[in-house]
Amino acid sequence: MTRNSIGTDYLQTLAQADVGCNFRIQALNGPGCDKLRSMGFCEEMEIRKLADGRNLICSLCGARLALSSRLADQVLVSPVEA
Amino acid sequence: MGERLDTIMLVGNPNVGKSTLFNALTGGSAKVGNFPGITVDLKEGFTRTPHGRRIRIIDLPGCFSLDGGSPDQQIARRALDGEVLALGKPDLALCVLDASSLERHLPLAMEVLERGIPAIVVLNLVDRAQKSGIRLDPAKLSEELGVPVVATRADKGLGILELRQAIRHPLPHSSDCSWAAQGGASGGRQKFAMEICRTTARRPEAHSLTMSDRIDSVLLHPVFGWIAFLGIMLFVFWSIFSFSSVPMGWVESAQGWLAATVEAAMPAGDLRDLLVGGIIEGVGAVVIFLPQILMLFFMIGLFESSGYMARAAFLMDGFMARAGLSGKAFLPLLSSYACAIPGVMATRTIDSAKERLITIFVAPWMSCSARLPVYLLLVPMLLGGVEGAWTQSVVFFAIYALGTISAFVVARVLRGRLGPDEIDQPFALELPPYQFPQWGYIFRHLIERGGSFLKKAGTLILGLMILLWAARTYPKSDSNDPAEQMRHSLVGRVSQAIEPIVSPLGFDGRTGTAILTSFAAREVFVGSMAQLFEVDDTGDETLLRTSLREVMARQTWPDGRLLFTPLSVVSLLIFYIYALQCLPTSAVVLRESGSWKWAAGQLVFMSLFAALMSLIVYRVGLWLGF
Repeated sequence: MTRNSIGTDYLQTLAQADVGCNFRIQALNGPGCDKLRSMGFCEEMEIRKLADGRNLICSLCGARLALSSRLADQVLVSPVEA
Repeated sequence: MGERLDTIMLVGNPNVGKSTLFNALTGGSAKVGNFPGITVDLKEGFTRTPHGRRIRIIDLPGCFSLDGGSPDQQIARRALDGEVLALGKPDLALCVLDASSLERHLPLAMEVLERGIPAIVVLNLVDRAQKSGIRLDPAKLSEELGVPVVATRADKGLGILELRQAIRHPLPHSSDCSWAAQGGASGGRQKFAMEICRTTARRPEAHSLTMSDRIDSVLLHPVFGWIAFLGIMLFVFWSIFSFSSVPMGWVESAQGWLAATVEAAMPAGDLRDLLVGGIIEGVGAVVIFLPQILMLFFMIGLFESSGYMARAAFLMDGFMARAGLSGKAFLPLLSSYACAIPGVMATRTIDSAKERLITIFVAPWMSCSARLPVYLLLVPMLLGGVEGAWTQSVVFFAIYALGTISAFVVARVLRGRLGPDEIDQPFALELPPYQFPQWGYIFRHLIERGGSFLKKAGTLILGLMILLWAARTYPKSDSNDPAEQMRHSLVGRVSQAIEPIVSPLGFDGRTGTAILTSFAAREVFVGSMAQLFEVDDTGDETLLRTSLREVMARQTWPDGRLLFTPLSVVSLLIFYIYALQCLPTSAVVLRESGSWKWAAGQLVFMSLFAALMSLIVYRVGLWLGF
């Protein structure tokens, strides 16, 4: 967890985040952490949420990934300034 | 002593083009798709360096890391660590990366380099990276990683020459892994990958919607996506039966010509009867379905190659969750419609061990292509004997749906009994960009599947047909009456013996014998029925099937009741939907599950369930007055 310098007001899970917005990954926290890392999720990466639902779709480093909302709940993100 | 053979292993994330690169290097025909997990086993091929030295290339299954416990990850890890005895330790690893998503794919390459294996990093799919506006710097990347880096576009053969130059002797050294000092855990690797990608694979700042995103906005839409999915599935089933009619006509003509030629060239007798009535008619009754089987494989190849398969898995995840499965079970189950063997093997991409076992268990209930000949014979008997009517497609759809729904119900029950996974495995899947199918590879795969089917027809089915002909011809009776000869023959005696067992299901002894012969391979049923009901070979397969149906429709029980009523035909169809009549499938289940109990339990359960359902349908139908 690297949340020291981040205001918790700005943190939300990827599952809660709005569709169509860009976010920065601030922390990965939960039992699916290793799986997320092996798929390329990492702190400081920029991510865009493309679709919501039981499984959401996001764009990460040019790749489109479908994630269950349970996994997305373990990705903490903060908005990226436009 | 011969020259020592160097071994090169291709390693990388799923769907980065390893199999395409393998084919480009070896001239081989490894199956290529646009769906994660196409390679689920080790593939071996050979090539030569520019100096003519022969080297062995091994294509490993795609994996995100070498730490995971899924079977494909374990295979890759064991192969790289030299634990696969037949291969030994690799002399060189080709770390294949998707150049358009380096940040995500570099950590696996770094993990390989940390094992001290000499390596070359292959930046594949450079065209995709260029389209995304990424500025690649392979020279700088090579400097950072301490190994050679080659940019390729394997599907077009670009960069292959440079790669061949790079793998010549002396092979590159292993990397000093400068990042390892910063902490070798996956987080440390990922951070280092991010750092070096800032200079070696710079991305444009603004996110832009791609063509795939626009297509996905329709195909993954909660409403339109499902309409498209159902439409595509209906089109697949319709096309299998309609587009195949022309090539089936060619097979019919060839068979008719062959039968007529043999009849004209040989005097009447047992040998001619064996060749025409036993072999040409029996084997031909199976070979005629080759075009439909190929069409099914073609459609599945199209899905995999275009990128739609991953979307279908995404859509189906919610639906399959009701059966205790995930969207990842969709590919194995869909593949099982063509053949349960590749379907069972494709379950290796499923992370959850329990879900994998359940998928293996229910996969044979997806009606495979070997059942098609049986359905094509029986379904028109419910529709006034007419083949090709639209109602036939509807009945076929219902048959496939019944097998599928039953599989889901059993999966749900099994999931409840096996309990949840020890480690939670939530759904996660990469959606590859849509692309035009790679026709060359699809057709190569079709040729391979067609060859395998014909080999089976020329060996197992041919052998069974000869045995069946002998059993119905001998011992000879003194009578010239064909019915008396049949009763006197071995088949007649077996039929009489098993009739009390199968008659409660609505079948007579001959039908029971045909079912028995089809336990080795179910497509044998049509040929067996043609022999057992002594249908004259007209040389035309459609006419043969029509004649067989007409003969079957005239058959009666000793008390004068019709033998094949709509109810008994439905009972027979039900039996074939559920019975596991395929010994090679049981062998693969044994290998994949590693459990005799699982493989034997599946065979016994499915056979008993088929007989029980058939019995219930027939008895309840009679009780209701059908």
